[in-house]
Amino acid sequence: MLRSLLGMIRKEFLQVSRDRNLLLIIFAMPLIQLLVLGYAINTEVKLIDLDVYDFDRSALSREFISSMRAGDYFVLHEGDESLFALAERFESGDGEMALVIPNDFSRRLTLGRDVTLGLIADGSNANSAAVGLGYAAQMAREFSQEVTGMKPPVEVRSQVLYNPEMESIYFMIPGIIATLLTMITVMITSMAIVREKENGTLEQLMVTPISGAVLLLGKLIPFAIMGLFEMVIALAFGVIWFGVPFAGSPLLLLALTTLYLFTTLGIGLFFSTVTSTQQQAMFFAWFFSVFAILTSGFFTPIANMPHWVQYVTYLNPMRYFVSIVRGIMMKASGVMDLQADIIALAVFGVVIFTIAALRFHKRTA
Amino acid sequence: MQRIRFIALKEFYHIMRDMRSLTIIFLMPIMMTFLFGYAIDMDVNEVILAVADLDRTADSRDLVENLYASTYFTPPDEQVDFKDPEQILRSSKAYAVLIIKPGFSEAMKGGEDYQLGLLVDGSDNNLAAAVQNYTTAAVNRYLINKLPPRMTVPGVRVSYRLMYNPDLESPRFFVPGLVAILLLMISALLTSITIARERETGTMEQLLTAPVKPVEILIGKLMPYTLLAFLDGIIVLVFARFVFSIPFAGSYLLLLGFGFLYVMTALSIGIMISSLVKTQQVAMMLAFVTTMLPSVMLTGFIFAIKNMPVALQVITNIVPAKFFLVVIRGIMLKGAGLDVLAMQGVYLLIFMVILMFIAAKTFRTKVV
Repeated sequence: MLRSLLGMIRKEFLQVSRDRNLLLIIFAMPLIQLLVLGYAINTEVKLIDLDVYDFDRSALSREFISSMRAGDYFVLHEGDESLFALAERFESGDGEMALVIPNDFSRRLTLGRDVTLGLIADGSNANSAAVGLGYAAQMAREFSQEVTGMKPPVEVRSQVLYNPEMESIYFMIPGIIATLLTMITVMITSMAIVREKENGTLEQLMVTPISGAVLLLGKLIPFAIMGLFEMVIALAFGVIWFGVPFAGSPLLLLALTTLYLFTTLGIGLFFSTVTSTQQQAMFFAWFFSVFAILTSGFFTPIANMPHWVQYVTYLNPMRYFVSIVRGIMMKASGVMDLQADIIALAVFGVVIFTIAALRFHKRTA
Repeated sequence: MQRIRFIALKEFYHIMRDMRSLTIIFLMPIMMTFLFGYAIDMDVNEVILAVADLDRTADSRDLVENLYASTYFTPPDEQVDFKDPEQILRSSKAYAVLIIKPGFSEAMKGGEDYQLGLLVDGSDNNLAAAVQNYTTAAVNRYLINKLPPRMTVPGVRVSYRLMYNPDLESPRFFVPGLVAILLLMISALLTSITIARERETGTMEQLLTAPVKPVEILIGKLMPYTLLAFLDGIIVLVFARFVFSIPFAGSYLLLLGFGFLYVMTALSIGIMISSLVKTQQVAMMLAFVTTMLPSVMLTGFIFAIKNMPVALQVITNIVPAKFFLVVIRGIMLKGAGLDVLAMQGVYLLIFMVILMFIAAKTFRTKVV
């Protein structure tokens, strides 16, 4: 039993190590993706193009404009073009926001009266428009306090935990790692098994005196080992190259990764039982990956989604894994903090794996 | 002409026979439209805020009520324990904890300066920034309404106007971009796989010995996929119009023209890939790395290009989807015309001419 299992595993490893393309896909691709995604994915809203139309042209208005240069929030374009140029700047995508300072700006302010600025924003990118308006309002508030020398009696003092510099990359790398692990393991498992089916070698394996369970384990254990290996490489790369802090327990993360692999390998196995060509297996794996990634909370918080979509996300095993990876890496969450996610993942793993194994068994037996 | 039709028909039968793949080809745009339409919303609508009221006065209760009355804040689903506020964040029960220390009520009546404490989960930087903004803005609004005028700071207010998307609906940003992604995916990925498959199974040789010219084979093979690509694009547009009510401000004809340039570019990439590889698996991976990944990540589809390192920003200029994205967003949302989009048109034309030239050359030397 154990000997034939070891034999199976050895055969699988030999087969994989002979396929240079597959090796490349398994090990080089994730690193390239991690590198590109790590740099490309950035949810910070910065460097907003802001056209300034200053009709006041006073010392005070200039002071206000220069205060908006602070930080990397806005890139200012000053010009004496008329406001009519604005529409074209927006249509071509060159301008994002415009600030109009009325000609009574300094007069009213020195009289201690309120003054209203005009802010026009291209709303097509909803997020950056909303954040940009927030920045501008905040800057206007700070400027008024400075000019009038008054302070509101109550202020909010905030403290940001886990990621005080609010670096986008610290948040994204754990998500990218979870994504890569999901995509690669589901895709490779399903395609590898279908390929044996396509080539007819699966039948040959079945006529050997190996029991169904050994055949199944022999096929899956190598992929599980590769998945764990990949996880370690990706984690090391994220921590060493991108400097992502690792606050929690690496051992706990690896243990829970193993738990998650039951689910992804189960899904890969399931896809291999419902498809007959590699192309179909690839399409199925891809379809699943897109769904899993987009509803995992990787890009956007799940609580931000409409309620019915939130219920759908409970059906996505990756959702729990993303939350686990982030929790352990960023917040040093322990088993107690993550218990709901862990239970959900365990249930998923057992159910999916059992269904897939039964289907595989019926097909092969 | 007739020979091209036969090749196209043959390819069409191939596609129709593989129902499982075909189903996915049509389900994919629908699922992506729904997910990007409903699930992906970078704009933060609701902040789960836990409030620890240690002041316990009528004033502090009024502030809490006021915060929750706005649509921006909701209390956590479960009961939380304020003895260890950090635990609330660690177990992700709330995004932030607002701590109202004793003394709030006196401060409102003109006592000493006072600070509300806000503990924010910074792991999601975007969310953390939104939480800070919303809370500060909400508290300031509350103060302006409740405090006597002599205690509020007079000064600069902002009135704003949002163009093209006044309600800041994020489907308007994401859904048009999907057309760019799907057109590319279908035309580059499927063409590269189909030619690689004919070579893998050896049927390419049979085709070449038939009395048709290589160019005719090529055109015949590509036609069904062009059709599929445009069908997928139309599916997204129909959903955009009728499910998400995204207005179509510009000209359909102009979009079709640009779409044609773009699809030709994508098909050329597909042919180039298939000429370079021998198996379907490698063709698929190569198509994924050279088309899908850059089109989703390096075009401004989700993530702003100007936030990337300079080296990556330079690379974005060789991704055709980047230019098509500006075009489709411009036409659909802003009603941009050819005068504004001329530059993008020139870029896409250059891409198409160069890539088609290389593709035709590699096809002739490698495949034939």
